[in-house]
Amino acid sequence: MPLRNTAEAYGSLAKFLHWAIVLLIVPQYFLAEAADELPNGIEKLQILNWHKSLGMVVLLLALARIGWKVMNRGMPGPIGEPWQRKAAAAGHGLLYLLILAQPVSGWAMSSAANYPVTLFGWFQFPALVAENHGLHETLEEVHEVFFYALVTVAAVHIAAALYHHFVLKDGVLRRMLPFSRPSA
Amino acid sequence: MLLATLALGPAAQDAAAAATVWTVDPAHSQLTFHPRLAGGEFAGRFERYEATIRFDPADLAQSSLLVAVDLLGARTGDADRDTALQGSDFFQATRWPKGTFTSTGIKPLGSGRYEATGKLTLRDITRDVRVQFRFDTTAPSGGTAHMTGTSNVRRLEFGVGQGDWRSTEWLDDAVRVEFDLALRATR
Repeated sequence: MPLRNTAEAYGSLAKFLHWAIVLLIVPQYFLAEAADELPNGIEKLQILNWHKSLGMVVLLLALARIGWKVMNRGMPGPIGEPWQRKAAAAGHGLLYLLILAQPVSGWAMSSAANYPVTLFGWFQFPALVAENHGLHETLEEVHEVFFYALVTVAAVHIAAALYHHFVLKDGVLRRMLPFSRPSA
Repeated sequence: MLLATLALGPAAQDAAAAATVWTVDPAHSQLTFHPRLAGGEFAGRFERYEATIRFDPADLAQSSLLVAVDLLGARTGDADRDTALQGSDFFQATRWPKGTFTSTGIKPLGSGRYEATGKLTLRDITRDVRVQFRFDTTAPSGGTAHMTGTSNVRRLEFGVGQGDWRSTEWLDDAVRVEFDLALRATR
């Protein structure tokens, strides 16, 4: 499997970034829910530290994914009717936007409450905004709205991939699957 | 007048030689603390404190620093954290509302820098701490001055951190305290 994308399938780096982002985003919901249930204390701090650190990893991976996409013009082209291509492009654009916006809103939300954001305590990111209680409250809601938006767009993304695979029976889903080779 | 002063003898001369007393302009001053939580540093501030500063670079023996901090005025930008900080795990400020620092000596470190040694009391526990600072007069008349400094306080020496917070795994023992004071001479 080539590192770079080809006209038939995504390369190993694009696949790695796609699936790593999926695997890191899914536990984020459960970490946030768990932290929400806990009283203030070390346990909550610990879980939120994981949540924030993983979120920053997602942000970095998403930036890498977009950077790599821009550098790889020979990626698999869209297929289907013009409206489907437009819908796919819009859906993917929205997905990228939300994957970037969600960690950024969380980062800003922490900064507004004067909580540091680090990468597992090894590296501290600068505060994105100044301490501001009202802004923190707003960003807390924004972070939640972005979450629902992300779940919705991701659900459409998954449904579309499954539709391609099981109904249209084309190679669209397979070209992003790990370890799979494009059908001849 | 001169004769009168001389006649009063050494006591009056000592009073005249005593270091300048400075008052803090709270609007242009700040006293902050910088804990390290889960590997990330944040700043909190003490909104209310009183400082009695007697300082004369030429007369360090007569100079002294006396600071009383209202621990209920500790603010970190998050109400939950402020409550925790003032609660029994940290300052227990309802029982011990004040933190005080009293210098016992000041020595020069050169180029406008000094080090004060003194007693810090928190939660009724008194320990020696050292404070490094700069002192610069900011008006040609010497009527105003700017004092900035820092001290590394080991919170656990004072029991600031009970229960889970006795551990330094998630909250460092060392907390940097910083101050930036605008002073006016009031002799």
